[in-house]
Formats: sequence, structure tokens, C-alpha cells
Amino acid sequence: MNRGAVAGLFRKELIDVSRNRGALIPVVLVTAIALVVPFVVTIAVPLATAGRLGDDFELVRVSAIVDPDARLSPDARVQLFLFQQFLLLFLLTPTTGAMALAAHSVVGEKQARTLEPLLATPIATFELLLAKVMGALVPTLVIAMAGLLLYVAGIALLALPGVLGAMTNPRTAVLVLLLAPAAALLSLQAAILISSRVNDARTAQQFGVFIVIPVSALLVAQFTGAVWLSAFALTAISAAMMLLWGILAAVSVRLFDRETILTRWR
Amino acid sequence: MIAAAGLTRQFGARVVVDRVTFTVARGEIVALLGPNGAGKTTTLRMLAGLIRPTAGTVTIDGVPMAASTGSALRRRIGFLTETPGLWDRLTVRENLSIYSDLYGLDRGGERAAALLDTLGLTPHLELRAAELSKGMRQKVALTRALLHDPDVLLLDEPTSGLDPEVTHGVRALLAHRRANGCAILLSTHNLAEAERIADRVAVLQERLLALDTPDVLRRRVRSGRIEVRVHDAAERYVNVVAPLATRATADGPLLQIELQDPDLRTPAVVEALVAAGARIVEVRPELPGLEDVYLALVAHGERGLVP
Repeated sequence: MNRGAVAGLFRKELIDVSRNRGALIPVVLVTAIALVVPFVVTIAVPLATAGRLGDDFELVRVSAIVDPDARLSPDARVQLFLFQQFLLLFLLTPTTGAMALAAHSVVGEKQARTLEPLLATPIATFELLLAKVMGALVPTLVIAMAGLLLYVAGIALLALPGVLGAMTNPRTAVLVLLLAPAAALLSLQAAILISSRVNDARTAQQFGVFIVIPVSALLVAQFTGAVWLSAFALTAISAAMMLLWGILAAVSVRLFDRETILTRWR
Repeated sequence: MIAAAGLTRQFGARVVVDRVTFTVARGEIVALLGPNGAGKTTTLRMLAGLIRPTAGTVTIDGVPMAASTGSALRRRIGFLTETPGLWDRLTVRENLSIYSDLYGLDRGGERAAALLDTLGLTPHLELRAAELSKGMRQKVALTRALLHDPDVLLLDEPTSGLDPEVTHGVRALLAHRRANGCAILLSTHNLAEAERIADRVAVLQERLLALDTPDVLRRRVRSGRIEVRVHDAAERYVNVVAPLATRATADGPLLQIELQDPDLRTPAVVEALVAAGARIVEVRPELPGLEDVYLALVAHGERGLVP
């Protein structure tokens, strides 16, 4: 692999994004929503209504799964449950990033007529696509991780005693350090695959909806208590996602038809 | 150096390039002329390994262009695309520096600086590509194509949009590359440019209609006219040559004579003039301009050529 070429194109992607901050607005918005909504639900609403989370029998029952030894008060346990569940919202950040950045990556180069000189260089298709994936992944993950840091800081400041300590567990670590990057990588690769097969960015973004659906389904299933993904299950899902990414990357290289992109797209 | 053999490209049922065969040697510039849609860009793309020929082969320095060799061959090719294709949000320096990385150049910056200096772009290094004029964009794109010191240059309209001074600079740059052994194929609509810079001219209209030096091409499309300069007044000799010519006129010391078959009749005309006491200073066929040659070839295909 020509690392210099990948690094060069990756650098181009970063410069491009840094000078086109508008492209990051969807990612920042989703991160902000993922950051604000949990605190509104767990802190602001109970304060505003003078109610207590522990008064909701159904929530107390469902939340038992996060504190099987009942070490926390009912209020703290429900808070812990909700903060754990809302953590999944951060999976949506890289997914949104995929649609905002990656969907535009190949088709955008074609529309700007910058793809032909790029394809005339010795860069291999795999290297080109890798640089594109990394160029979209890194800024998205940086934003997502910044959001997560603020999330943890907010919990440390506003949540009931014991909640932050209980959240610091292998499950959270797997979710943040494995699942989120794996989901991002998979989403980005899918978006880039789509971007290299359609001839305008809007179409690529519309296809991106299919990437959001599985994450949303996972969120809903978790909130209803129908599914509880343990650290082990999340690790397995992350591994499966990485495997799927590898397959998708190979498919992307195979389906990236330089000739069709150059001659058929207008 | 560059060899195209039976190069054919079809898009669906439409044949865009049909059995084109030519070579470009080291240290040679060949200009590819042809009307819009003649297949010039498609030919250049096939030579650059960007699209596959439907039939025929491309070899660069004896190495056939194929999926397995494409990447290595592209390292040796500098390709100037039809549009500059610069990254608008990046500065000139950044655009070139990233291409240096793509070609794996250690000292790409130094080389770019020298090229930019030649093309007068040094003061604009920190400008974003979006801020550049059309001519400046073209110059940056040309610099990018030359950055890795390629031994094959494929240039699609290299002086398009450039002012005369810069055009002159680009021609000098290409002449310098030629002197260093680079094989250069450039497509152009500018016939004067082709005549001025190219060693040979290829006229393409789906098929290769002609490929030769501008001089030879001009001789192949004949006007049927010769000019004879005599030492005294030409008017005296109009009647001498009239029986041999379809038309003869005089203008000062010049006799302009139209002949049906100049190769056959010119010696007889000279003999008649000498016999009549004319002191002949010069006899030369009236050669058409390259533009006339081009128009004749494109209008009539191969029939535009007189064998």
C-alpha cells in the first residue's frame, strides 16, 4: 500500500472539511441533541414537574437490569438506566457524519471535476477509498468523542451520587471505544460505496436513510426493555460490524468503476 | 514511447474512436487535431489508462497498459485533463503538495516551486484555487501534470484560456520537456499552435485521417497552384505559360499559375519560360495553411488527401 498517497489524500479531506464547516453542521446538531435530550429527560423534566423518576413503577422495573444488586436508590437507578440508553444516541452522530460527508465524497469530486486528475495518478482504488473513509471518519469521531466527554462531564455534575461510578463499566467502554467507531466505519463505508455508484450527492444522502434505520431500531428496542445488550453482546456486534466493514470495503473496491464514473456521469 | 495500435472505443453502439494507430517517440511532440466530439479526449483517456479500449492496445515504452500495469505506468505519465480539476478550497501550494504525496515525491515542493516560477505563479501560492483566474487555474493544472517529471505527457488543450505571453511560456516549457526526451501528445483546436510546436500533427475524426509533419500535410493537400518569380516583369510571360495552365496571372515579378497536375506540368512550364528568355529566380508550389489542410481533411475524410 502506498501510505504516502493515502496520507496525502487524507490530509486533503481534512483541509477540505476544515474549510467547509457547513458540512459538519448535521453532525454537530445530532451531537448537540444527543447531549441535551438525556439531561432534559432525566434532570430538567423531573425538576420542572416536581416529580421523581423513582415514582414511575414501570421505569423502576425496567431499570433493574442496570443495577441488579440494587445498590442505587430508585431515582439514581432510573437515571443510570436512562443515561445508559441515551448513550446509544451517540451512535447516530457518526452515522449522520457518514451521510453529510461520505455521501458527497466521490460524487462531489466527480461534480467538481477533480476526480479525473486524481484517477490519473498512481493511487489504487483501495487507497483512494481508504483515504476517503478516514477523511470522513476522523472529524466525525472527534465531534462524537467531544460530545461524549461533555456527556460524562454533565453526568458528573448533574446526576445523582453513584450514577457516574455505575456508568464507568466495561459495557460503556465497549460502547464508546468499540461500537461507536465500528458503527461509524461501517456507515461511512456504506455511504462511500453508495456515493461511488450514484451520480449525485442528494441520491447518496437519500440512500443513507437505510443506515439510520438499524441504529434507530436498536434504540427503540433498548428503551422498551425488549433488548438489553451486555458488554459481551456489544463486543460481538462491534466485531460483526468490523467484519462487515471489511466485506463492504472489498465490495466498494470491486464496484468502483473508474470508467463508468468518468464517462457516464454528468 | 507511446504506441497506440488499432485503438477503438465504443460507447454502446456509438464508435467514438475507430482503429487508431500511431506512435509518439521520445523527444517528440505530436498534436492531436480534430473537431469537437472527434474522440480526442477519449483517446487521451485510453492512453492514460483511465478507460479501457474496446479493441486495440496502448503501450508505454513497450509496457502494455493493463489493470496490473496501470498504476506503475501512471507514475510515468503526466495528464492534463480537459478542465483543471483543482480542489477549490485548497491553496495552490496545498493542491500541489497533495499531488506530490500522491506521486510519492520527496522533493515535490522544490520541483513545484521551479515550475511555478517558470509559469509566474509564485506570488499566488497561498491563494485558494477558487480565487484563481481561468488562466491561472490552467497553469496550476499544468504544473501538477509536470510535477513528477513524467516521461510521457498527455495534454488536453494545454493553452486553453491562457494569454499570449503565458502561452509562449508554456510552449517553451514543452519544448524544454521535449529536449529532455519526453514524449508529448497534446490535443488542441489551435492550429497555429500545432504548427508552431508539434513535430507531427495527427488529424482525428473518429478515425485517424492523417499523421505527418505539418509541411508534408500541406503538400498532401494541394492547391494546384505554383508561383514563379522571375528577374524582370512577369507580365511578359503570361502568354508563354497560358497553353500549359488552366489560369495564369502576373503580379510584378510573380507569375501565379494554376495547373491541373503540378507534378507533371511544372517542368514543362519551367522549360517554356527558359526558352522564352525568362531568368527564373524561384519556383515554388503554393502550399495551403494547416487550417486549409485540416478543413479539407475533416470535410472530406481521407478523400481530402491527394495521393
